[in-house]
Amino acid sequence: MTATTSTPNTPTQKVSRFFRRDGLYAILLVFLIAFPFIVGAITESSPFGIARGDRMIMRGESVRWQSVLIEVYIFAILAMSYNVLFGFTGVISFGHALFFGTAGYVFGLMLEFTALDDSVALLLGVIAAIVSCGLLGLIIGLVTLRLKGVYFAIFTLAIAEMFFIFFGRWQVTRAEDGFAVTALPLWIDPAQNRLNFYYVALALFVFTFVFIRRLIASPTGAVFKAIRENEDRALSIGYNTLNYKLFSITAAAILAGLAGILQVLLNKKVGPELLSVTYTVEPLLMTVIGGVGTLTGPVIGASGLHLLDIFARDAVITLGDTVIDVANIWSLVLGIIFILVVIVFPLGVVGTIRGWTMKRRAKS
Amino acid sequence: MSNILEVRDIHTFIGQFHILEGVSVSVPTNGITVLLGRNGAGKTTTLRSIMGLTPPARGTVTFDGVTLNGKSPHAIARMGIGFVPEHRAIFKGLSVRENLQLAEHRGGDFARKSDFIFDLFPDLKRLIELPGGNLSGGQQQMLAVARALVPDNRLLLIDEPSEGLAPVIIEQMIAAIQRLATGSSVLLVEQNFRVAAKLAQQYVIIDEGRSAINGDISALVQDKALVQQYLGIGTS
Amino acid sequence: MMINRRTSAIAALLIFVGLISVALLNAGSLGNFGITILSGLFQGMLLFLVASGLSIIFGLMDVLNLAQGSYFMIGAYVAYDAQHVGGLVDLTSTIPDPNVRFIVAVIAAIIVGGTLGFILERGLLRLLYSRPVFQLVLTFGVSLVVLEVIKFIWSTTPYSWTEVFGVRESFFQLFDQRFSTYRLFVIGVGIFLIVAIAILLRRSKIGIIIRAGVEDGEMVQALGINVRAVFTLVFTFGCAVAAFGGAIAAPFLGASTSLGSAFLLQGIAVVVLGGMGSYEGTAIGSILVGMAIAVAQDAAIGTSFAALPSITPMLLLVLVLLLRPSGLFGSAR
Repeated sequence: MTATTSTPNTPTQKVSRFFRRDGLYAILLVFLIAFPFIVGAITESSPFGIARGDRMIMRGESVRWQSVLIEVYIFAILAMSYNVLFGFTGVISFGHALFFGTAGYVFGLMLEFTALDDSVALLLGVIAAIVSCGLLGLIIGLVTLRLKGVYFAIFTLAIAEMFFIFFGRWQVTRAEDGFAVTALPLWIDPAQNRLNFYYVALALFVFTFVFIRRLIASPTGAVFKAIRENEDRALSIGYNTLNYKLFSITAAAILAGLAGILQVLLNKKVGPELLSVTYTVEPLLMTVIGGVGTLTGPVIGASGLHLLDIFARDAVITLGDTVIDVANIWSLVLGIIFILVVIVFPLGVVGTIRGWTMKRRAKS
Repeated sequence: MSNILEVRDIHTFIGQFHILEGVSVSVPTNGITVLLGRNGAGKTTTLRSIMGLTPPARGTVTFDGVTLNGKSPHAIARMGIGFVPEHRAIFKGLSVRENLQLAEHRGGDFARKSDFIFDLFPDLKRLIELPGGNLSGGQQQMLAVARALVPDNRLLLIDEPSEGLAPVIIEQMIAAIQRLATGSSVLLVEQNFRVAAKLAQQYVIIDEGRSAINGDISALVQDKALVQQYLGIGTS
Repeated sequence: MMINRRTSAIAALLIFVGLISVALLNAGSLGNFGITILSGLFQGMLLFLVASGLSIIFGLMDVLNLAQGSYFMIGAYVAYDAQHVGGLVDLTSTIPDPNVRFIVAVIAAIIVGGTLGFILERGLLRLLYSRPVFQLVLTFGVSLVVLEVIKFIWSTTPYSWTEVFGVRESFFQLFDQRFSTYRLFVIGVGIFLIVAIAILLRRSKIGIIIRAGVEDGEMVQALGINVRAVFTLVFTFGCAVAAFGGAIAAPFLGASTSLGSAFLLQGIAVVVLGGMGSYEGTAIGSILVGMAIAVAQDAAIGTSFAALPSITPMLLLVLVLLLRPSGLFGSAR
């Protein structure tokens, strides 16, 4: 009996291996691609919006749900980027909003304050935003990653707060009001062609996912995990842990920047709220609850929490005489869930389920 | 003569690393037993496992018939086990007096033992109010041992007392340990084979996380081949 | 850079003198200068109440209690609620004398803060000793939850203190300016506490244990001392002191939901500047940071840079981390 080869050779072998490993992802991807049309079919609304004269107006269920998913993609990218640094490399940062917001500001400034043609501004804006937050990550890393973990965390907290205060006052960027971004190319404007934007966001989401997956499976990813487990050990083995941590923070910064760009495109607005602690806390919550250090954890966390957030906005609970607006206590509930996860289910949703299935499999 | 300490086949993990893979040590009452072995063999980890600082995952540790497994380090200490770690671990910001007072199990321990301690280590009397950080290496080592003598400890775990000390100080240390061994049992870790041979009656060799050979040290001193094999040194 | 205590002390003195000089230069009059100095001391004392807990808890337990600012905020809200009409508890009828009510309010804040601190350490933090990164995350989560609970109970509207009572209402004349006696009272309380805690740390048995534990917690355990119990005690005390800070600050600062993060960040700046785990460092750092904020406030008047006072502690923090992370009096860890 010949042993089966470990590398698939024939096309059928390759296809079947693909389906075994990634079948679920493939099905999910197809679903997400078809999503606007599925919703459109169910609710009898057009994924393209409604025509008004020679423009399209974004009305209708399909279009509304596209927005919801776009927001999910943005948070998922942000959470995944945070996970690269925290979950996989074990470096905790309280300044992630810095990368998200800086990319947003640079991108918005390029679009709105330059006299370039819209499409050119878009391209340059994306490049400029990515370069700036990558540089920012690199600089911050160079300066403080040699410090002990908690000092690094404090530093990121302080810097993020300073950026937030500064941009909230800087008159060039209209201080706390921020500025609207109107000089967008038509094809990507979510107020006109949300479907296009949906696919762009989806593409970036898939890209981030695949990129991180590749990264973690690579030798570099293995070093990340070694650093997370025991940095001194990794050092003694001979790895230049500082360089790897630098790489990790730069990658995380750039990915967070992607999310920032998408956010500015979606809301067509740039303001200091992009740098607020919300965009550090949200990915932290989503990553931890979803499953820190797992690939799908942040995605599950992001989608689950964001969808719950949307439902919570309208829900109302009645207990006897008292009517509680869920929206008011949602943050509180979230915080309590967070604490519960940290103490009881430190591996998060994904990690804990994985642990259960592995135990079940070991028993059989 | 029964054994005051019985360590039976303990396995200890530090993180994912399997440091001790089956160590057994018997310490006779009122004697000095020495753990020998190369650097990194697991001698210090054995002491720390007994003390509960890196508790064993498998195996048993019994002190005077009582199982130590599962007890916290401070409870183990309270049972009468004194710990003198590698690198002394005296509190540099505290005075010598405060260092010694901290070691009391009951109020008045230090007052009762001070004569004995100052007799053993006369220098400490002179230095009593100075901060621990001002002491020389040898004086700090004396303080570390003295600390273990404050309460009524029946077993002392002493890790590398001669490390980094000048030969004259080492002789003083040997004399002190010989004297205090008349009242307590001692489990010693000592890299310096000459010091070990002078102090101990029994030995146990730890090799790569396992206890290899044990016996009377007088026999080991004769067996140069064995010493070379397990300790990697020629006896001087 | 070889730095010993003497150099650090000189550096601290230089910074202090530098701040005073800037204040003198900026001040329009001697009275203004005096106000700035006293204001700085006032801020400094409040910061000390938050930072002392942060520093000792970190030195002893290796945990940065990110909920420390929240405890300050809890103290402010509890004290406010107890003193005023309405809210959760209304004592205006049972204790008609506002002076007495104030004392009760402060005591209530201490008790609530201490109890919640005890619950946090004993109930939650204890479970995470093996995972230090998650301890940080946990205290962060607690700060979020506390904020939400406070918003739920008391809403997001900031409260200004309206109850009139003795020492709060009097003023004294300093050259040409008026300065609230209450702030002087707070400064006095702060100085008293600094000295009292210092004596406690130097002389008492528990103080010796804490100082030893900050150096080497494991060795303290090996000597037969239940270090875990000491952790709980220190943590509880730290939170209670923070709550006390919020309570005595409330008549002046009121109670608002921004107190928590503001004082946490400033407290962290103090601890980093002074040196984690160093008591003298925390005391000196509190005064320096408090003065820096007061000087910045004074300097910012009339300029367009109104954010300077808020950024100042953060700038200090960043500078210290870049130049000498162990701060003025901390040990290089």
